[in-house]
Amino acid sequence: MWGIFLESVVIFKNYMGYHENHFLAGIYLFVLLYLWLTEKDRTRRAVFVYAPTLLLLAFFCPLFRKVFVRLLEDSETYYRLLWLLQMSIVSAYGLIKLMGKHKRIGLAVVCLMIAACGDYVYDSQHISRAENAYHLPQEAIDIVDMIEPEEGRITVLVPADLIYYVRQYSTDIELPYGREMLIARWDYYHAMYEAMEKAEVIDTPAFVELTRTYPCAYVVLKEDREISEPLTEYGFSVYGQVGDFVIYQDMTL
Amino acid sequence: MLTAVISLLFWLVVIPFCIGLIPVNFILPGRRTPGFLFLAGYFCMWALFALAAIPAVLWVEYDNFKAASAVFTVLSILCAILGIFLLYRNRASGGESLLGVRFKNDTGVARKTGLKGLLKSMLRADRIEWLLFFLLLGFQLYKAAAFASFDGDDAYYVVESLLAQEADTMYRILPYTGGSTGLDVRHVLAVFPMWVAFVSVKAGIHATIVSHVVMPFVLIPLPYLLFYEMGKLLFDPKKTGESKNNAVSGNLLHRENLPVFMIIMAMFQIFGNVSIYTNETFFLTRTWQGKAVTGSLVIPAVLWLFLLLCGEREQEKRTDVGLWLVFVCVNMTAGICSSIAVFLVSILTALTAFVLMITKRDIRLLLRFGAACIPNVIYMGIYVVMGYSYLLQ
Repeated sequence: MWGIFLESVVIFKNYMGYHENHFLAGIYLFVLLYLWLTEKDRTRRAVFVYAPTLLLLAFFCPLFRKVFVRLLEDSETYYRLLWLLQMSIVSAYGLIKLMGKHKRIGLAVVCLMIAACGDYVYDSQHISRAENAYHLPQEAIDIVDMIEPEEGRITVLVPADLIYYVRQYSTDIELPYGREMLIARWDYYHAMYEAMEKAEVIDTPAFVELTRTYPCAYVVLKEDREISEPLTEYGFSVYGQVGDFVIYQDMTL
Repeated sequence: MLTAVISLLFWLVVIPFCIGLIPVNFILPGRRTPGFLFLAGYFCMWALFALAAIPAVLWVEYDNFKAASAVFTVLSILCAILGIFLLYRNRASGGESLLGVRFKNDTGVARKTGLKGLLKSMLRADRIEWLLFFLLLGFQLYKAAAFASFDGDDAYYVVESLLAQEADTMYRILPYTGGSTGLDVRHVLAVFPMWVAFVSVKAGIHATIVSHVVMPFVLIPLPYLLFYEMGKLLFDPKKTGESKNNAVSGNLLHRENLPVFMIIMAMFQIFGNVSIYTNETFFLTRTWQGKAVTGSLVIPAVLWLFLLLCGEREQEKRTDVGLWLVFVCVNMTAGICSSIAVFLVSILTALTAFVLMITKRDIRLLLRFGAACIPNVIYMGIYVVMGYSYLLQ
């Protein structure tokens, strides 16, 4: 039970970003305490004070966590219980109450506090200027445009860099394996993935044999991907190149 | 292009607006506002989508998206017509308007709560605060349109939408690879990507563009509309401890607090990225995914409805059927957003109703909120039966 409690503490700390010196949760806990002391309205007290406090207690309760995880068969989403606190709504309400009549100066201080304790979302490494209306890398779109069949579907082997995007653009392109192979903690095994991504140098004969079991009409490799023998010696021809990606067509199909 | 825009306006503005007229007809005139109307319309529309899509996913094997789309189209248009009928009937009988209403405030001065009243009150005072808020909102919309946010889950959800659009099939094809598959209990009941696909088909726009570009223009303003409605409740001068004699200053307090509340909420969203797990991060980086809608819209809506349903009832001694209808629809919306959302909303409802029952010493509250969660119980029943049916074989 103690171990489960400690797990919940770690989840809480990771959620709140304490390890990266973010302290928005500090503002929330302060406001929660303030509302405990000052909120008179019974409904608001129940919704913004009692219920969140009980939720926090439930979150750290090992028995609750055990039931939650057993019921949903998923321990990775336990943190979403913290969404129920709606920290921003409760904090905003409490802070405005605290400001009293000093609205403008209070607003300035609060905004500075939020900016200092929080983290600017658009600084995220996952956010970049959109290259097109699809919000997908242009290279993925160009490759699919080159190889997409007019009718029916084809199987294409692409490097990990493109796996997330290809089928967001066209579902006529099928893949031997997908995003599930890129999630390390899921720990799946796939022979084609091992041959394509894990091998330091691609073993061409075994690799080609595997691609033909699907069969892959095209193989896309990064220009600098090391390969024991050129694919062109095994019935493939260079179909085109987009950026760093070379597209090979299997001429035996 | 023009057809696409008209179609988007029809399915994302006109239909929810007209459907929203139904619950609005069954609430107290003083609570009828364009904001409530629009939010209620969206929740009712999504509940209708759940009714159309979930049975199709479970029991229709081929072209199940086509079947769900046809049923949803008929249901939503019928409800929109019913909403318009209620609007005209109300107008013809000389009742209070469903769109906006004149009533006297504490100072005895007539106040308009319709769209015009809303805009006027914004322009009358606190212009700088409102301007600042709209700048922050505009900034978020600009970022959503001009910047791409990578999220691995898009390889599942966005591709599911695209598969529905291109293959007329829901959850029968593996989104990651394209192979065929059986129903995956964890995802098949959460049909939010199918609603995105529905909008994409009607507008004739690629589902990935709709997800990444069109949806943020709906799913970012909508929570702010909810925060606005919530703020109006929280900073209502009648409820902020202002006496009737001090109503003028109370009204000022109200007007000043609302834009301040909105700015602080916007700041929390923009700087809420303290980890990848917060609902604020989901809101602005995965706006189009059902789980983001859960954190930014559905859960706040439950709190909003708790405040509405339990805040003034003691004085009014009257039940608002329309509010309960919206509460049920919010629960159903949780179901289409994600399976876990149903559990979350049920936990929140149970806990909050429990503490309200104790603080207000009224057991009927618990019973009523429990009854409003019946859709969640049905949903969880389907989930458990699907998830554990192998034990019965």
